[in-house]
Amino acid sequence: MTDIKKYILTLVLAASTALGIQATVLDSLRVDVRLGYALGGTLPTHLDNKIRHINSFNPGFNFTVAAEASYPLNERWAIHTGLRLELGSMDVDSRVKNYDIEVVRGDESLDGIFNGNVRIKTAQRRITLPVQASYSLSDKWQLRGGLFMGWLTNRRFWGWAYDGYLREGTPIGAKIEMGSEPGERGDFDFDANMRHMQWGIDVGADYQFHRRWGAFAELTYGLSGLFKSDFKAVDTLRPLYGTLGILYRFK
Amino acid sequence: MRAAYTYKYLSIVVAAIVMALSSTGCGEEPDFCEADIETVTLHVDDPEAYFYQSTDSMQVVLSTDTAIVIIVRGNADVTSLSPVFTLSPGATIAPASGSTHDFSNGPVMYTVTSQDKHWTRRYSVSIVPTTHTVSDTVRYDFEHFELETANQRYYTWHNALADGTLGNDWATANAGYRISMGSAQPMDYPTTPLLDGYDGAAVCLRTSDTGPFGAMANKRLAAGNLFLGTFDIAVAMSDHLHATRFGIPFTSKPDRFTGYYTFEPGATVQDFYGKPITGRTDSADVYAVFYRNHDAAGAEVVLYGDNVLSSSQIVAVANLGYVAPTTTWTAWDVEFVYREDIDEQLLANRGYSLAIVFSSSRRGGDFVGAIGSRLCIDKVRVICSHEE
Repeated sequence: MTDIKKYILTLVLAASTALGIQATVLDSLRVDVRLGYALGGTLPTHLDNKIRHINSFNPGFNFTVAAEASYPLNERWAIHTGLRLELGSMDVDSRVKNYDIEVVRGDESLDGIFNGNVRIKTAQRRITLPVQASYSLSDKWQLRGGLFMGWLTNRRFWGWAYDGYLREGTPIGAKIEMGSEPGERGDFDFDANMRHMQWGIDVGADYQFHRRWGAFAELTYGLSGLFKSDFKAVDTLRPLYGTLGILYRFK
Repeated sequence: MRAAYTYKYLSIVVAAIVMALSSTGCGEEPDFCEADIETVTLHVDDPEAYFYQSTDSMQVVLSTDTAIVIIVRGNADVTSLSPVFTLSPGATIAPASGSTHDFSNGPVMYTVTSQDKHWTRRYSVSIVPTTHTVSDTVRYDFEHFELETANQRYYTWHNALADGTLGNDWATANAGYRISMGSAQPMDYPTTPLLDGYDGAAVCLRTSDTGPFGAMANKRLAAGNLFLGTFDIAVAMSDHLHATRFGIPFTSKPDRFTGYYTFEPGATVQDFYGKPITGRTDSADVYAVFYRNHDAAGAEVVLYGDNVLSSSQIVAVANLGYVAPTTTWTAWDVEFVYREDIDEQLLANRGYSLAIVFSSSRRGGDFVGAIGSRLCIDKVRVICSHEE
């Protein structure tokens, strides 16, 4: 948790600095801080019917803290930017059929067609810088749209195939049973294959229900993908996050 | 390649989210893609007269095996038989299960096709009338070896049969090593040929490092092994001591077990956790076990890694015991020590099995041993007594 505190402090400092700038240079700058809960994931091109059942799904601890600022260009339009810290994790347990898997350890790997259960865990921490155009519909409503750059400071993607069997290489390869304990199951770890830099499209809306307080919704769609570009997946997976939260406006 | 797998895993996450947010199902279940014969059964009118053991009428087929051999009595008529197969789910077989064929001219070929029609496997089924021949000496010279046919990744051995054809009596755990060390070259495997042995080629067993997978699984080494029997790779990960199925039916009474070996222990014995054990020298295993291959209830018995020297089915053991380190070819000659009398009728009916086991680290089954321990074997003989 100390890490989180450190980040919040950094964001508050950033906001304070922005306030300082506002006081002296940019009198018209509007600054707010935000706290949101994210429902994150990746947008599929189609749902894979080889995933037969989701045994359990724990979306984990996903929230965003942000300090953001708008610089009005005229009555309606403004430039909106900020710094966001996004924390996310997930734990999925599923039953699969005819599923291509690869279990990896060091330089060694074992791949094939798996029938059984697959557990997947992810965790990530991302700092994002959005640059958006914002349009005020009214005093209360503001729509935003633009691009974001993201930096993953911590990313993990790991899990194991268990209680099933692997056909080595192809469905007619050797049948290898997998149990549930470490050593009997097939572990995988793709931490090293995830991208650090991400970028994409970001749209949002703010609703000011109080002079200081408001609510916001945000949808970010990663165009860079989650994994490094030397991974030539036919269907590129792109991360899609929806965030809902509250904001507090300093001015 | 890895991207595709990563994508695969990710799509589970996606599915989870979609299914959590909506109540959509998982789409239509995909067809099965496997094409295995799982069991073969031969129904005959009088099984007692047809098979040496009634359990021989049904055989479980390993996933790695496509050459099925059913042994029947020497006088059995094999010109009109209808083997019945059970297949992996959804698969189909041609010619049909239960169709009648003449097996007297050699194997009959069957093709199994997966439910999704994308995969096929060709099986040969041989039904072999086998006469109980009494041999004085069974010879194993390790001259016949080849890279396994499916992937050409490691060596397998064949024994020369009396009629000049090759048998598959010998097995190794090389297939299991491949699970943990997919990058290994054929000569990196624990069991390899040695071209310049005592007499022609020999076989070399080396205790080998199992790499990062092995370390993760607390299976840090693989002893080189060679044994009469079969290796069931299906349970190599989940239940490794049961992957080594020791023993083949043997119809002569073995008296002595002889051969030539060299043994060089590896530098440092390590424990289960990979920690060095100081002051210990690794030891090898060279032994033969003769046992009853059916229990009192008539069920088939094979011996495994956890009972090959302790089973109550054992009738006789010939164990070299301490394998003295030596770099020059050294002969051994060990007598079978019998615990009970041989039932000649049972012997003739293939009711006994012989397991010969070589291992470069005696405690390899517990993943204790010295990496680099090297046991080479050549010119093995099982000397049998004449039938009275």
